[in-house]
Amino acid sequence: MFELELNGQQRMLKDALADLGKNVVRPQSLSWDRKKDIDPEFLRTFYGMSQALKGDANPMEDFQEGPKHRDTSKPSQANRTAAIGAEELAWADASIMLSLPGAGLGGPPLRGSGTPEQRERFFGIFRDMTDELKWGAYGLTEPGAGSDVAAIRTSCRKDGDAYVLNGRKCYITNGARASWVVIFATVDASLGRAGHRAFVVERGTPGFSVGKIEEKMGLRANETAELVLEDCRVPVENLLGGEEKYTSKEGFMTAMKTFDNTRPLVAAMAIGIGRAAYEYAADFVKDNYVLSRPIPRYAAIAERLARVGRRLEAARMLTWKAVWMADHYLPNAKEASMSKALAGQAAIAACIDAIEICGAHGTLSEDHALLEKWFRDIKVYDIFEGTGQIQRIVISKRLISDLRGF
Amino acid sequence: MISFEPSEDQQLILGTVADFTRASVAPRAREVEGARAVSDDVRRAVAEMGLGAAHVPEALGGQGLGLLTAALINEELGFGDAATCFGLPAFGSFSYAVLELASEEQARALLAPLCDPSRGDAFASVAWSERAVNRERAGFTTLATPVDGGFELTGRKCFVQNVELAERFVVFAQVEAERGWDGLGAFVVSKGDAGVSVGERHRTLGVDCGNFAELGLEKVRVASSERLMGGSDFTRATLRFFAKYSLIVAARQVGLGRAAFDVAREYCDIRKAFGKPIGHFQAVAFTLADRHMDVESAREMVRRAAWMWDAGKDDAACLLATAHAAAHAHEVAMRAADDAVQLHGGAGFMRDVIVEKMMRDAKQMSLVGMTPEQLDQLAARITTGQPLDAGAVLPTPETQAIFT
Repeated sequence: MFELELNGQQRMLKDALADLGKNVVRPQSLSWDRKKDIDPEFLRTFYGMSQALKGDANPMEDFQEGPKHRDTSKPSQANRTAAIGAEELAWADASIMLSLPGAGLGGPPLRGSGTPEQRERFFGIFRDMTDELKWGAYGLTEPGAGSDVAAIRTSCRKDGDAYVLNGRKCYITNGARASWVVIFATVDASLGRAGHRAFVVERGTPGFSVGKIEEKMGLRANETAELVLEDCRVPVENLLGGEEKYTSKEGFMTAMKTFDNTRPLVAAMAIGIGRAAYEYAADFVKDNYVLSRPIPRYAAIAERLARVGRRLEAARMLTWKAVWMADHYLPNAKEASMSKALAGQAAIAACIDAIEICGAHGTLSEDHALLEKWFRDIKVYDIFEGTGQIQRIVISKRLISDLRGF
Repeated sequence: MISFEPSEDQQLILGTVADFTRASVAPRAREVEGARAVSDDVRRAVAEMGLGAAHVPEALGGQGLGLLTAALINEELGFGDAATCFGLPAFGSFSYAVLELASEEQARALLAPLCDPSRGDAFASVAWSERAVNRERAGFTTLATPVDGGFELTGRKCFVQNVELAERFVVFAQVEAERGWDGLGAFVVSKGDAGVSVGERHRTLGVDCGNFAELGLEKVRVASSERLMGGSDFTRATLRFFAKYSLIVAARQVGLGRAAFDVAREYCDIRKAFGKPIGHFQAVAFTLADRHMDVESAREMVRRAAWMWDAGKDDAACLLATAHAAAHAHEVAMRAADDAVQLHGGAGFMRDVIVEKMMRDAKQMSLVGMTPEQLDQLAARITTGQPLDAGAVLPTPETQAIFT
């Protein structure tokens, strides 16, 4: 039956996050943005809360579970709940989601392709973070290879019981603070995707260093780093999935599989930011414009506000549909890309329109600094995890016959 | 629970409607357009399946399947030929108006012919719009003057669906002139009543089988029992009527959008230029991707709004979801049809290909029920917490004239 009611746990999560967002996060959001860091105390508390919300369930359970343990007859709730949480959290401050302690984007490839030993070893470090917060990261993008993942040039060469890695990775979320990073490299660039290998590279490995920390337009409270690999020796045990895994295009598929599950979550975050701007603009209109008199320009403002609202709703429907499919173990690559493409677009438009609706006030960093911040934060949502153009390529390939590439 | 899957019953109905659409609606779209009417055998088949009364509660003689089922049926028929929906008995706005405005007793009597599976000719309509804006005061020029035992209606309505075929009309008229748009009343008028005349049929850009025409009223006597009171809040009931009917029209738009997208996609597969299918060029492929996102999102929004009404959610929340969904559906269907023509190039402009008709139908449909602009205004008023005053939220001729 078609139904969009949240279950008890999801409603509780949504309400708790909304409350936290309004009372705790929003008041600090601007200072985090200026300091370029989220208060570690907040992260620690928040992490503890999120563990408590999971109840008695062992928080490590998700991690330990390999891809083969799925019972397809029992739909999961995980993606749907995550999407609801992501929207709510991003509504408060989008940087939190990206800065949360844990495996981050490194989680999905490790979960999907890691051996049981690797999963235990690398997920295990997050089991106890009472004294120290820890992060994982995902290193794919290079200065010369962004959307065109097959073009990565970071090399790996086997030498005895280790691989020697050389290259540079850029725009890596939590790259400098990460305890380990899933790094993609190639044994032979001429092999294209078949030559790709994924490694878990640990901080402190000789030859592995942090380059510059990026200054960004938005999401400034979240760390984005450049990583440098210079004759970095990575033990064979750190080759994700073991050597036999790489007889085909598997390495590349490992990289891509990450995105089917994360794209709808990125979409949900974008919708959260867009909704924040939309609600802000609606409140501004209520408080500042004379709605009781028929001012001709107001009709235009009203239509614009409504258009923002409905486009966000459209994106939310695609996002929920994509996570619903994921929870039912249905292939959703197309739907995941659709949700992200539409959400990125709708949320950017929401942030742009919200500023315009508020008029000159909207650009003042003192009076309406949050609006100005969201405008800066949102743009990257149509860029990271696959640009809007890449999403459209993914979608096109599933719409048009015999289209392998452009 | 969150689920995007219609229930088993709904899927069963949808399967039947899809088969029927494929066999009897889609292939005959041009025939309907040429005849400016849906043929009798299709009308009868639809009545026999009870498709027009799906949303009417069982207590009133309908199937009690709710607004969502009605939306699903209308989307599927719209996929075959959206225009055809407007030439089918029981598919007009009448049942939605009656369900919101009439008492239970009135509704049972008025809806009985529409729910009768043996009646392939049970047409009934709503008369709302007027040609000119009343410049003397707010409200309609058509007057309902109290007389002994009832009212006397005089005026001229326009843009009314199936005037020639309809047996009955819900006519909106001014009861209290000084109260402007708050002074409206709704009355049931029968075709045979003295003083009722059928005006000239409009020739429309699209959806011409909807048989739109003027309705003349010259001192038509209506008994008090034929007045529809709309419960405790007439304006709100009228708004709900327009919102729900607009949602049904939006479901047809979603169907049309899906169809336009499908035709365009197939064409992009087979049409070659510069040595390859045109779909293999990014500018073309991305356009298809965008339209696909548009239509799929509108589809779920329409379903969501219908589900909310069925689930008995708060009025304002339902109105907001409906306004968002319907405005979005109009926008994306228009764009899908426009792009379908565009991607066909010169061929798209020719009547040999169906897309030019879809484009005309999409534009026409956005003027049936509340327009996207009126829906956006309604949504903004709800969002900013303004009162839903009759003059501001009803689709009056003062803003944009609409077809009903």
